[in-house]
Amino acid sequence: MRYLSTTLFILLAFMVKPVFAEDDHSLITPQVQNYIGYGAIILAMLLFIGVMLVLLKTFKVLTRIILKSEGYTEEQITAELQPAKKEKKQKAEVWQKLLSLRPLAEEKELLIAHDYDGIQELDNPIPAWFMYLFYATIIFAAGYLLTYHVFKVAPLQYDEYKTEMAQADIANKIYLSKAANRVDENTVKLTKDPTVLAAGQVVFKTTCVACHGEHAQGNVGPNLTDDYWLHGNKINDLFKTIKYGVLSKGMPTWEKQLSPKQISDVANYVKSIKGTNPSNPKEPQGTKETDDAGPAPKKQLVSVLVK
Amino acid sequence: MQPEKFYYDNKIVRNFGIATVIWGIIGMTVGLIIAIQLYHPAANMGNQYTTYGRIRPLHTNAVIFAFVGNAIFMGVYYSLQRLLKARMFSDALSYIHFWGWQFIIVSAVITLPLGLTTSHEYAELEWPIDIAITLIWVVFGINMFGTIFKRRERHLYVAIWFYIATFVTIAVLHIVNSLELPVSAFKSYMVYAGVQDALVQWWYGHNAVAFFLTTPYLGMMYYFLPKMANRPIYSYKLSILHFWALIFIYIWAGPHHLLYTTLPGWAQSLGVAFSIMLIAPSWGGMINGLLTLRGAWDKVRDDVTLKFMVVGLTAYGMATFEGPMLSLKFVNGFAHFSDWIIAHVHVGALGWNGFLTFAILYWLIPRIYKTELFSKKLASFHFWIGTLGILFYAIPMYWAGFTQSLMLKEFTPEGILKYPNFLETTLQILPMHMMRSAGGAMYLFGVIVMAYNLTRTALQGKLLANEAAQAMPLEPVHTIVREGAWHRRLERKPIKMLIAALLVILVGTFVELMPTLTISSNIPTIASVKPYTPLELEGRDLYIREGCSNCHSQTVRPFRSETERYGEYSKAGEFVYDHPFLWGSKRTGPDLAREGQKYGNAWHYNHLMDPRLMSPGSIMPNYDWLITQNLDTSLTKKKINAMRTLGVPYALGYENKAGQDLDKQAQGIADNLAKDHIKVKSNKEVIAIIAYLQRLGTDIKANKTASK
Repeated sequence: MRYLSTTLFILLAFMVKPVFAEDDHSLITPQVQNYIGYGAIILAMLLFIGVMLVLLKTFKVLTRIILKSEGYTEEQITAELQPAKKEKKQKAEVWQKLLSLRPLAEEKELLIAHDYDGIQELDNPIPAWFMYLFYATIIFAAGYLLTYHVFKVAPLQYDEYKTEMAQADIANKIYLSKAANRVDENTVKLTKDPTVLAAGQVVFKTTCVACHGEHAQGNVGPNLTDDYWLHGNKINDLFKTIKYGVLSKGMPTWEKQLSPKQISDVANYVKSIKGTNPSNPKEPQGTKETDDAGPAPKKQLVSVLVK
Repeated sequence: MQPEKFYYDNKIVRNFGIATVIWGIIGMTVGLIIAIQLYHPAANMGNQYTTYGRIRPLHTNAVIFAFVGNAIFMGVYYSLQRLLKARMFSDALSYIHFWGWQFIIVSAVITLPLGLTTSHEYAELEWPIDIAITLIWVVFGINMFGTIFKRRERHLYVAIWFYIATFVTIAVLHIVNSLELPVSAFKSYMVYAGVQDALVQWWYGHNAVAFFLTTPYLGMMYYFLPKMANRPIYSYKLSILHFWALIFIYIWAGPHHLLYTTLPGWAQSLGVAFSIMLIAPSWGGMINGLLTLRGAWDKVRDDVTLKFMVVGLTAYGMATFEGPMLSLKFVNGFAHFSDWIIAHVHVGALGWNGFLTFAILYWLIPRIYKTELFSKKLASFHFWIGTLGILFYAIPMYWAGFTQSLMLKEFTPEGILKYPNFLETTLQILPMHMMRSAGGAMYLFGVIVMAYNLTRTALQGKLLANEAAQAMPLEPVHTIVREGAWHRRLERKPIKMLIAALLVILVGTFVELMPTLTISSNIPTIASVKPYTPLELEGRDLYIREGCSNCHSQTVRPFRSETERYGEYSKAGEFVYDHPFLWGSKRTGPDLAREGQKYGNAWHYNHLMDPRLMSPGSIMPNYDWLITQNLDTSLTKKKINAMRTLGVPYALGYENKAGQDLDKQAQGIADNLAKDHIKVKSNKEVIAIIAYLQRLGTDIKANKTASK
């Protein structure tokens, strides 16, 4: 019966799977589909158990009828139907066998005729399961070393890393091919869209205030509200400065920490706060720029970007 | 032949017992203080001498070598005399051993807060103290073997096998791991560098756990458990098997602390393979203990000492199963550097070492004071609050470990880290850290209750300093009948036993250490990696002094989540001038292997002054004293010379130019800071540490740029 239920379970699992694999454009998300699948499996299992119980009851009723027709008395039938009573001791015996323990009563035969400050030792054999465990770990260890260093079928850490990076690369490419409006320093657009500015402000508050000050008045980093810029003030320049950083001036690289959209948002936010005249501003740094200035002094950047 | 009369020395046992309790309370209190600092940095009391980096080693040293160490000597001195039917070899040596050990601990309590440290975990003490430890260990050895030689018991009981293995292995470990070149009375450099130093350190570190926290405790378990339960040891055969298997296999497992580092792959794999094989031998001790209780489980219900023993053995079983699992690469890549490891070691330390110690104290103190325990109720209370304390400690820490590791490894669909700011993951687990300190406080409270209970017990009784006993002297050797079993024969030959144990532990030691220490191809060099400048070297020594490596690792593992967060993974050749290595073992803060040039000097200055200025919510303490203290350059010359002796290629005579170079570089950083309106003199410590931080991991970048 156990085999039957296992087989049934596997069959069901296979039946459920292809149904959901086919339809890619379904309105139901794969997650929900999974839950439906699990639900179906559980329901089927419950149904199966129900059927079994009904069958069992049927057998009992049938036995009763047959035995009655064969002339058994009521008590005899009840006795027949009672499952054989297990003796309580059996459990302990199984336990003892599993641990290869000998009954306590036989302990005297096992005592080694010697004591240390009254401590005696028994000559019990080492439990068999203990030895199996030990052998199993030794086989595992040998297999482990052979796998990695003799047959070299499993990757060591640097190969593992290569695989991990390659997979991430593929996943990323697929993602980018789907994602609309992939932004970079060449395609970033200046906007005054309040949702963008609000999102940019959030990024600014969490990542930039430490160096540029609460109101962008400048602290370790320069004032971002004045007309003076070290690395250009066009939206593309800002994007680039944030993305790659300017290590020689202490501006970190944010490429690995902020998504392109976040960089674009915060760049636009910085553009939007120009001229807000915060209190206690840092002195001007860099060259004066106007919004309609021509191409930003790019050569400064290029020399810095080691990447 | 007449039985001989002699006396057991109980006074030395009592002394070690008192020391155990006192140092236990001190060590755990320091632990509680640093646990609180992890969510409330101001708990360092604004003082450099009580700041996490300096007193975390004090906590580990105090609980391992002071609390557990004294407990070992207490248990050994009590059981050894009785198992050999002889008084300790020499009262004078016992006396020297006791006071010598306490002196070493006191010197640790003084030097570690001062920042005098080698930075090797669990071996932080500087070279003069290392020598003192060696001498006292020899005294202990002479006293132990002297007693063995004048014994009135032909065969050595299993407990003594474990004591012998402990003695000889700790001696080997301590000496090899303390190979240092002194620069001054309290400053030295490790002889090995980088990968080699890391391998030696973790061969030592792992086996300090094996031969200081495990084998002596197993020996004590083999004496005290059958005594407490009044039951015979379950299996003599199992004792033999698991003893030899344990000491042979344990010594190999050290490299599992260095998985995914630049340690050669074959050494890592050996560490993993042997860790897995360690499960059964470790469990052998637990099984033999628990099965010894067969037929005595009814006693466990009433007897608090047995309760402590059972929980202790169970904790041992759990920790020694978890350990091998943690050494599997998949698990290790996730668990290493996280709070999971802290939970793991504390299950072992609080459960196994702590509870066994308490059981022995509760059993032994009334006996040597010829009285009953003052209060069984208080002892029972101790048991329950201690058990709860362990749970409250371990569960939140497992939780914290899982949470933080999952967060650190999570990526967004865009392919960038979901939590690029390390601090975000730290803030997430602060509630768990608070719960952990509550668990630790409960455990500590239990110990204080025990101290009270034992004091009252001692006061109501009277110490039986010399306990009378008698035994037949050993018959002359020629009368011994030759025994069939080889092990039985070995049990009456202590020197052969000592040599056998030594040989067994040396196998793994040689196979693992020798190739890495001698064959250069195991550590590929990188041409662009240059020795530190004098200022950076001084900065590095400050980094060591402040114990930065207790919270910050310096090795980027080859995982996408780490190379994206920190930069290129570490290479063996980058560490060749690192005497000692500073990879660390825990990331309470982010890795710093590639910290150089990530932020500006001003950022570092502000961050060291008050980390919360640059990273709001940070739990790093303020290092404002670095800004006020002058850099001590009196040893710079000697340091350069010492490094050259160790093989760092400073040109001959460079030590005379070093001071000049140091000043020049320092002035450069001070000028750079001045641009950001930070006025600081160039002779302040902060300048040196910034110089070091800005250098970290940059050599390899220089190589890239040059080759482009």
